[in-house]
Amino acid sequence: MRPVAISVDSPEISRNLAIKSGFTFPILSDPGAVVIRRYHILHPAGAPDEHDIARPAEFLVDSSKTVRWANFTEDIRVRARADDLLHAARQLR
Amino acid sequence: MRDSIKVRRNAAPWWGLLLALSAMGCNAGFFLGVPFQGAIPWLSLLLAAVALIFLVLGVWRAYAVPQVYGGKALTAVLTVIALMPAGLSLVGFATTRKLPSASAAPQVGQTVPDFTLPDTSGKPVSLDQLLTPTSPASRAPRAVLLIFYRGYW
Repeated sequence: MRPVAISVDSPEISRNLAIKSGFTFPILSDPGAVVIRRYHILHPAGAPDEHDIARPAEFLVDSSKTVRWANFTEDIRVRARADDLLHAARQLR
Repeated sequence: MRDSIKVRRNAAPWWGLLLALSAMGCNAGFFLGVPFQGAIPWLSLLLAAVALIFLVLGVWRAYAVPQVYGGKALTAVLTVIALMPAGLSLVGFATTRKLPSASAAPQVGQTVPDFTLPDTSGKPVSLDQLLTPTSPASRAPRAVLLIFYRGYW
């Protein structure tokens, strides 16, 4: 399973995040929220400075691009638990 | 007669303060990785609401029936201190849940849209590329986990 993070942050900001946090997986930039809109998870004026961002969302996508597990939190403080995700990933064949 | 009325201790503002601090403190559960994290916001809301009930009770006791309880100044100070964590917990509950619905997003069993986006070095990366092996020697990943997040600030 390959994790990929996506946000409206520029590649430069994402690079700082990767360096600071030691992330080695790809972090992609969608500054215009084009893909975020395509996935219907835009949070208009959701950032503290009121620009458009993504609402938190996680999709486990198999090789046929089918969603096998998804998580849409109701509260930004509550995020997906690694156990739930790993359980879903183990079901994949 | 008056002297026979025993002045009682007003513990309500102390309980209010303790509960208000607990309402804020239970957010530590997110960082400690405790299970049932979905319950923490509700627990925080409940603690803050009960804290407010005790604070109102404390103020009522000290100001409406001072001949029984007394301690007006201490009650006022404790109430003002407790209102901050209680208020923050209530405002926090309202703001962190202000999220748009994801009902139109791809659900389990549906196909996700394709995309090509730049990585941290500005190099374009497509969903198709993510689903193929990174080198001829390695195997294709069984799945890709797409994590959309709010951003880094």
